[in-house]
Amino acid sequence: MEPAPQPASPKKPRAAIARWLVARLSGYGLATILLVLLGLLTWLATLEQIDSGLHHTLRKYFDWRAWYVVPEIRGETLPLVLPGGYWVCALLALNLTLGGILRLRKDWRHAGVLLAHLGIIYLLVAGAVAHHFSQRGHLLIAEGATSNAAEDYFEHVVEVAEVKDAMPATIQIIGGKHLTGLEDFDTRTVRLPAMPFDLELARFFPNANLMSIADQVPSSDVRTFDGYYLVAKPLELNAEANTPGCIARILYRDGNRSEPFLLTSTAYQPFSVRFDDRIFTILLRKRLWLLPFAVRLDKFTAEFYPGTMKPSKFVSEITRLENGKPAKAVIQMNEPMRYANLTFFQASYQQLEQGPSARMASVFEVVRNPADKWPQYSLYVVSFGLLVHFLTKLVGFIKEQSRPSHHV
Amino acid sequence: MQRRIASCFALGLVLVAGCRDNRDVTATETRAVCSRDGNFKLFATSDERFGNARPCPVVGDPPPGWTVLPANEFRLLNYRFGPSGSGAVWISSATGSLADNVNRWRHQFGAAPLDDAAIQALRRVPMLGGSGVWVQAEGTYAAGMGAPPKAGYGLAGVITEFHGQLLTVKMVAPAAEVRFGVPALEAFVKSLRPVDSAN
Repeated sequence: MEPAPQPASPKKPRAAIARWLVARLSGYGLATILLVLLGLLTWLATLEQIDSGLHHTLRKYFDWRAWYVVPEIRGETLPLVLPGGYWVCALLALNLTLGGILRLRKDWRHAGVLLAHLGIIYLLVAGAVAHHFSQRGHLLIAEGATSNAAEDYFEHVVEVAEVKDAMPATIQIIGGKHLTGLEDFDTRTVRLPAMPFDLELARFFPNANLMSIADQVPSSDVRTFDGYYLVAKPLELNAEANTPGCIARILYRDGNRSEPFLLTSTAYQPFSVRFDDRIFTILLRKRLWLLPFAVRLDKFTAEFYPGTMKPSKFVSEITRLENGKPAKAVIQMNEPMRYANLTFFQASYQQLEQGPSARMASVFEVVRNPADKWPQYSLYVVSFGLLVHFLTKLVGFIKEQSRPSHHV
Repeated sequence: MQRRIASCFALGLVLVAGCRDNRDVTATETRAVCSRDGNFKLFATSDERFGNARPCPVVGDPPPGWTVLPANEFRLLNYRFGPSGSGAVWISSATGSLADNVNRWRHQFGAAPLDDAAIQALRRVPMLGGSGVWVQAEGTYAAGMGAPPKAGYGLAGVITEFHGQLLTVKMVAPAAEVRFGVPALEAFVKSLRPVDSAN
């Protein structure tokens, strides 16, 4: 009697599947496909951002939440579904790690290639770190003025502050994530532990015109607030120009509620409320992030190519004030100031008044990016790796040529 | 089997926790006072909050098709027009001389500055009981203030002195829309009248 067949060990097919998977993930074929996809995504994103704006296009093509992309060029949706750029880069990093590092033969002849692969992986990791952890904002300073706060480009927040001696004392922030999802008629209660009341937010408009009934009477279904109302408008191509608004209402802890009021990023003054003997302000504004030092703009100089508005040179002479100690610095186009993990780029300028002797203000882009210099370092690593590789090849070739040939 | 049931239970808990009602949230984030704080008015009225408190010294009759936009710090009256949705007409008060402002506008379109004689020779249109200098230009519009230049744009506008200050009426849009909109702008300029005489 033959023995009953034993069930196959599950480990063997699993090992075979794993080997097959590693072989596919580490192959040249996948690397080629991914590089072609990256080129295609970059090209299509460049075309699409003309009509859709840079911020929107970057989010659509390269955000980690974009698993796939359907390109839309000049208003036409292309019959093409591509993987999201973030995940193409992630897969490329995996491919390079498996193929270029794990499977590559580890000897001196391959040291250069190994270094070059490491450099490219470093570059991809730098991109991911910047994507997840960098912050970008701008800082506008008039000549002679000092500022220690940069303003986020895109995120709007609601600030609730208690005012003492005409200055905010305690400032509580309702982040932008608490404003999203209120585009329809939903409401959200935001508890404010540091305040004696809570806030109810509703009908968030990501971009809206603030209208006065004195200028234009709204349609009957539009609710007005003390003579003003919001009208939704399409998102701006230049996303930082969006002017959101929403409806808010104060919820007192005794169960009473205030009349609703409008909050809009275009308001010049905050909404004020008195509670007992305390005064509070509420406003919608772009998120401010505080710098570890203050910056004073001493002088701003702008030069243009003759007869044009094309800038040839913007120069900001600044003083950095940290713990009462001043330090002079110059920021100009392509020559940013790097200090305290922050990079200040000369972004643009504003003329604060009209006329030839108008006071100027300089606008800096402020970037907090832990991977700020990593792309530069990665290029050094790749360059050094390729140099080592080509030199190894050259030495091998010369040795081969100098070896005496044996004729039979 | 038990391990699978436990895994499914744990996953279910995670999903339930992730789907909590976000209609009730708690904000715990705070920030310190910075240089951008202060300089605000407490208990401002809605007009003060929303910028309509500064009166425009003139009123006019905007032509059909122009949308009224709220005034702001720089625009006493503010309109939008044209099929592109990017056409703008606004009234501002200006500082400096007439020549400063004519040449500032021309500079925004890359046009060479005009000397006094050339400015005196510009067309004048009747407005507000006097006349205003008519300025027109086309080309790449560089408004400054860090805004990117816009090719194929046009400008039509008028600058006049009113109650001791310069008042400007400016139309900026794609060039074809400006050319089409010039008659409406002229009609609007002619309709302008002082606020005190409007009531």
